[in-house]
Amino acid sequence: MTPAEIRERVSAACPGAVEEFQADLLDPVLRLRPDRLREVCRFLRDDPGLRLHYLRLVTGIDRPAAADSETPGGIDVVYHLWSYELRHGCQLRVRLDRANPVVETVSDLWPDANWYERECFDLLGVTFAGHPGLTRLLMPADWVGHPLRKDYARPERYHGLPTSRATVLAEGRAAEVAPAMHDTKAQPIEGYLRLNMGPHHPATHGVINFLLETDGEILKKATPDVGYLHRGIEKLAEQVGYVGTMPYTDRVDYLGAMFTNHGWALAVEKLLGVEVPRRAEFCRVIASELNRIASHLISTGSLAMDLGAFTPFLHWIRERETINDIMERICGARLTYNYLRFGGVSRDIDPETLDKIKHWIDHFEPMMDEFDRLISSNEIFVRRLAGVAVISPADAIAYGLVGPNLRASGVAWDTRRDEPYSIYPEFAFDVVTGRAVHGTLGDAYDRYDCRLREIKESLKILRQAMAAIPEGEARVKVPRPKPAANEVYARVEGPRGECGFYVVSDGTEKPYRARFRTGSFTAMTIIEHLSPGLMLADLVALIGSLDVIAPEIDR
Amino acid sequence: MNIIQHVANLLIRSVFHADPASWPWTWLVQAVVIGIAAFLAFAFVAIFAGPVSWIERRIAGRIQSRIGPNRVGPQGVLQWLADGVKCWLKEDLVPAAADRPLFLAAPYLVFTGMFGAFVVLPFGAQVVAADLNVGILYLLAITSLVVVGLLMAGWGSNSKWALFGGVRSAAQLVSYEVPSAFSLLCVVLLAGTLSTQGIVAAQGGWPWDWFIFRNPFMFAAFFLYFTAAIAEGNRTPFDLPEAESEIVAGYNIEYSGMRFLFFLFAEWANIWIMAAISAFAFLGGWQIPGIAPEQIAATKGWEFVGWQALSWTIFLVKATFLVFVVIQIRWTLPRLRVDQLMITCWKYLVPLSMLMVLGVLVLLALVPEGGGADTILRGAMVGLGLAVVLVSALRVRRTFRVDREHYREMEGRDLWYPPYRLP
Repeated sequence: MTPAEIRERVSAACPGAVEEFQADLLDPVLRLRPDRLREVCRFLRDDPGLRLHYLRLVTGIDRPAAADSETPGGIDVVYHLWSYELRHGCQLRVRLDRANPVVETVSDLWPDANWYERECFDLLGVTFAGHPGLTRLLMPADWVGHPLRKDYARPERYHGLPTSRATVLAEGRAAEVAPAMHDTKAQPIEGYLRLNMGPHHPATHGVINFLLETDGEILKKATPDVGYLHRGIEKLAEQVGYVGTMPYTDRVDYLGAMFTNHGWALAVEKLLGVEVPRRAEFCRVIASELNRIASHLISTGSLAMDLGAFTPFLHWIRERETINDIMERICGARLTYNYLRFGGVSRDIDPETLDKIKHWIDHFEPMMDEFDRLISSNEIFVRRLAGVAVISPADAIAYGLVGPNLRASGVAWDTRRDEPYSIYPEFAFDVVTGRAVHGTLGDAYDRYDCRLREIKESLKILRQAMAAIPEGEARVKVPRPKPAANEVYARVEGPRGECGFYVVSDGTEKPYRARFRTGSFTAMTIIEHLSPGLMLADLVALIGSLDVIAPEIDR
Repeated sequence: MNIIQHVANLLIRSVFHADPASWPWTWLVQAVVIGIAAFLAFAFVAIFAGPVSWIERRIAGRIQSRIGPNRVGPQGVLQWLADGVKCWLKEDLVPAAADRPLFLAAPYLVFTGMFGAFVVLPFGAQVVAADLNVGILYLLAITSLVVVGLLMAGWGSNSKWALFGGVRSAAQLVSYEVPSAFSLLCVVLLAGTLSTQGIVAAQGGWPWDWFIFRNPFMFAAFFLYFTAAIAEGNRTPFDLPEAESEIVAGYNIEYSGMRFLFFLFAEWANIWIMAAISAFAFLGGWQIPGIAPEQIAATKGWEFVGWQALSWTIFLVKATFLVFVVIQIRWTLPRLRVDQLMITCWKYLVPLSMLMVLGVLVLLALVPEGGGADTILRGAMVGLGLAVVLVSALRVRRTFRVDREHYREMEGRDLWYPPYRLP
């Protein structure tokens, strides 16, 4: 169903709710009256002909009134909806008053909206009425102001710490260490032990804090507390422009930098209408699939390490080392690639490197069997994961899980196949889904199993791509990007699932607003839901099996 | 007469020219000799725990396809000394909010528990610090001291993670002591004595004289004991008290420098102790095939020393082999969850070990030692043991061959990191 048809249905069911239908945008938008939002959302979710069960993204755009314009400014809150069953989606939008932006929450309709709305409150100051716990998510609890507002002025100091580099240099050193920046907001529950798991804990895969309420080893509740790695990359994107943002996207997902690169390039190319040469597409796919394997190696290996088996991790590190060497040959970097350019890639993959990749695949395929012998069917390993932290398909969709986490719950959705981009439709590969090998569908073992099998699919794609790579240019010259005012949401299938880039352009060299939709952000929201009754060691397995990495959450 | 009294008497006779039985200062000389013996045992613990740490890291390196420590001394053999010196020079931090006396005393208590066990270990025909007549009971009692030390460390650190580690280790050690004690009870039943030397003397040098191959129940009891002992030593897959990915580092998280090293020291010494107990209780200890202990005792001079050295070597080889097994298990398996740990103990190991005690009792009553049925039983068990060894060797060989084919294929190609081979 196209957005226009969805609009018809909404108008029929809720007359007067749609203020405007912006069909001229790349992704058409339904502008709703703020007081009718919940009604329309409920209809969109529950109508059997629409079934938009997946809330992809909630974010805000600050649009202050221009000095010379008559039209009043406002804050747009944007909702991206999608239906896996019917393969259609739409964008909703409400315009709120800048002085007092209030809109009703949808967090009871789609649970993953909880965090999206908190972030929106944090960075843009939008109040969501009826939200269960509207507190700051990424910024410190006592921060003043909302950074993504266009008229935001950065405070000079925060608890005596200078916020600008110039001041630090002038003073010679940072003044004092700030007090605990992240408040432990929730009150401890009577009769339970409060544990701070993190921000520096071996199992949290980066600086994330979990506030645990435990009864001995059994958890009453685990509340994630994030924001320790918040560098404001989206704010930076507004300042450094389209070209300058490319290296920053590397830092959004350091284990899958090629995908954030790809997503950003895709978004800007859509805005510009640039065609990418075929050889460049092949280069992108080859680099991406290698990167996906590298990321899954780290994920599965560190899951084993979280469960106490150190050896599998180091075996996978050895394999990843070779991938890093290949990546170094391809783009000169081992971790933060900055490989993609608008209209191609930074440099071509030479035939010698292709040979090396072939050699590596020859070597790596038997290694998968070795790894399986070592850990996959190990009785202790299986019992630690099978039946632990089961996520039902409905939950997985409602909480916005993506990628291997979603597929492990039995939802066969792969952006590469289902919303094709680049040249993926030309390759034959399977979309792996959970198969309840040892326990229940959607348990931690399924997530682990899915990642391992996805590595094999990536190898298939790599072989096909290397066999079919055409001659030609790896890059077309694209002038300095200055896209006309428009909006786009581009997505790629990253190792942690859908990696989406929502970009709003305004005709300048800098994006008006950029929002990176990442898999780890939504994966974090389900932890609180799953945690009651888990054991401490299960929580470690859950975090490891969700493959959460900190910079993707905080950006 | 054990070796300490022997040496003391020799000293008194040769140096003081007195009769040990009537001389008034015999006790003093004995005390000095015991002191020297204790120092030697301490040195043995230190010198053994050190290289074991190096060996473990080298084996881990080999298993994990990396090199491991190879810088200090040839192939890194002196790494443990360097680590020791480093830890010695580190600041001994005590958290401000810690319970100071408990925090400071805990490592020593843990170490004492481990070190005390060495007193009754029968290293050779006459080499044992003290052949107590309650040997096994003493072993079980003194190693329980470790629990107190770990709990003290966990509580005294005033850190929740350390407390988790301490409580986990208390629950684990107390639970696993039950099956290990029951398994050792089987040995005591067969030997008819609690003395460690008595247990060794009740076995023989040949495998069919070992307790492990005496009957099926003893065979099972050996594996039960070995499993429970790994759990008592906080080794993978039972290393929950120091699970770094769950509770950061467990009871020793707040420790630094030498105090921290004492915990590791105790851990490595404990591997040796559990291997030694398994060796003397089930695998015939220092018994030399073909020569009875009485014959050794009857020899004189260099011949006596030679037999002693051989018996010592045999015991060391058996125990060291088991140490290797423990290390290999550690670097291969993941860790159990805490409820699975308790289920393994109370639902499986405890009832099974009780069953083994019953079985051994029944067989003691039904099958007289030295009779035809006894010989058949022992023969069958040795056969079973050989079959187990053979099957595992074949499996290793098969896996090894598959990998070797693959490595040969890849050898010399670009971007190929071969799994590291020991020199």
